[in-house]
Amino acid sequence: MKILIPVDGSANAQRAVEHVIEYVAVLKEIPQLLLLNVQWNVAGGNVKLFINQKTIDDYYREQGLAALKAARAALESAALPYHYHISVGTPAEAIAQYSVEQGVSQIVMGRQGQGGLQTLLLGSVVNKVLHLASCPVLLVK
Amino acid sequence: MLEMLFTSQFWFDVSKIIIIDLLLSGDNAVVIALACRNLPEAQRRKGIMYGVSGAIGLRVVLTFFAVGLLSLPYLKLVGALLLLWIGIKLILPEEGVHGENSIKAEAHLWGAIKTIIVADFVMSLDNVLGVAAVAKDNVWLLVFGLLVSIPMIAWSSQLVLKLIDRYPLIIYAGGALLGYVAGEMVLGETLVKPLAEAHHYLHWLVPGLSAVFVLLTGLWLAMRKAVVAKAVNLVDERVTISTDNNS
Repeated sequence: MKILIPVDGSANAQRAVEHVIEYVAVLKEIPQLLLLNVQWNVAGGNVKLFINQKTIDDYYREQGLAALKAARAALESAALPYHYHISVGTPAEAIAQYSVEQGVSQIVMGRQGQGGLQTLLLGSVVNKVLHLASCPVLLVK
Repeated sequence: MLEMLFTSQFWFDVSKIIIIDLLLSGDNAVVIALACRNLPEAQRRKGIMYGVSGAIGLRVVLTFFAVGLLSLPYLKLVGALLLLWIGIKLILPEEGVHGENSIKAEAHLWGAIKTIIVADFVMSLDNVLGVAAVAKDNVWLLVFGLLVSIPMIAWSSQLVLKLIDRYPLIIYAGGALLGYVAGEMVLGETLVKPLAEAHHYLHWLVPGLSAVFVLLTGLWLAMRKAVVAKAVNLVDERVTISTDNNS
């Protein structure tokens, strides 16, 4: 069994991680845990004319690792093995794509990501994931 | 000057400028942030500051230069063609190229600043042309367009990406708007002006048709491409034992 937890570094995402830690404790067999952070593809074609790919990738890596930090720390202090992944693209699409590639059995995510006004205006990644995913999605409040 | 604040045309132009600035200046912020990444920590702030001010200064010069050029005969037609192309390019999905390029990363301050300025020169041309086309000869609108674009030079372009992701129609509206503005520009050309004065319906017909042209061409080309950019996998690591060194 594989559980995918998409993480954006927000408190809501962290709650999803904590939920999984609790949930895993009662299972007979520890599932494979996958953490995923998606970076927006901010460096479009024009940017690539001036900035080398390595610099761009380093930037994504740095941002991605920062977003994953809290989630990784939580899993490590619970002594759970996991896999972490950073991809670049549109969050909802990338989450759905990765879940298919990995043959994930469940996605667990916070009910909303970086909340507040932005969510109100921009809608959430969650809605789109619910739409795109082909496996069960568990939303943690 | 004050009475223009009460005309609907003025506010219409203001919103056109905001949309153009929003859709066409995102990349600059990214280049500024990334160009300074390889600098030593102490120089990074300096690089960003010089880069932003250089970019702003350059944009002011370019804008007034563009307005000057556009007042020459025939050049409005050239400008209009460019705007059509910019509009179509906006609608086209970006090709998801992810691979090594041969650009070397600048590790010293002046190198980074040079990158920022050159990039800004190339990437703000579309924006400057769009704003100049909307503002026509109105200096206040020009200055307004510049002022609006400045925070966008310095901000992250994530907001624009998020907006487009949520409301994909923005891209088409932007493309159509650029087409419309191109049509207006053609009518402003001295050669065409007498004709446009004689037949007043041309004032909405030409911009309207050119907006539709940009939309249809953009959609048609986008359909032919029809590739959804896949997410790129960047980092993939397994952490097996919790007590392992975490990296």
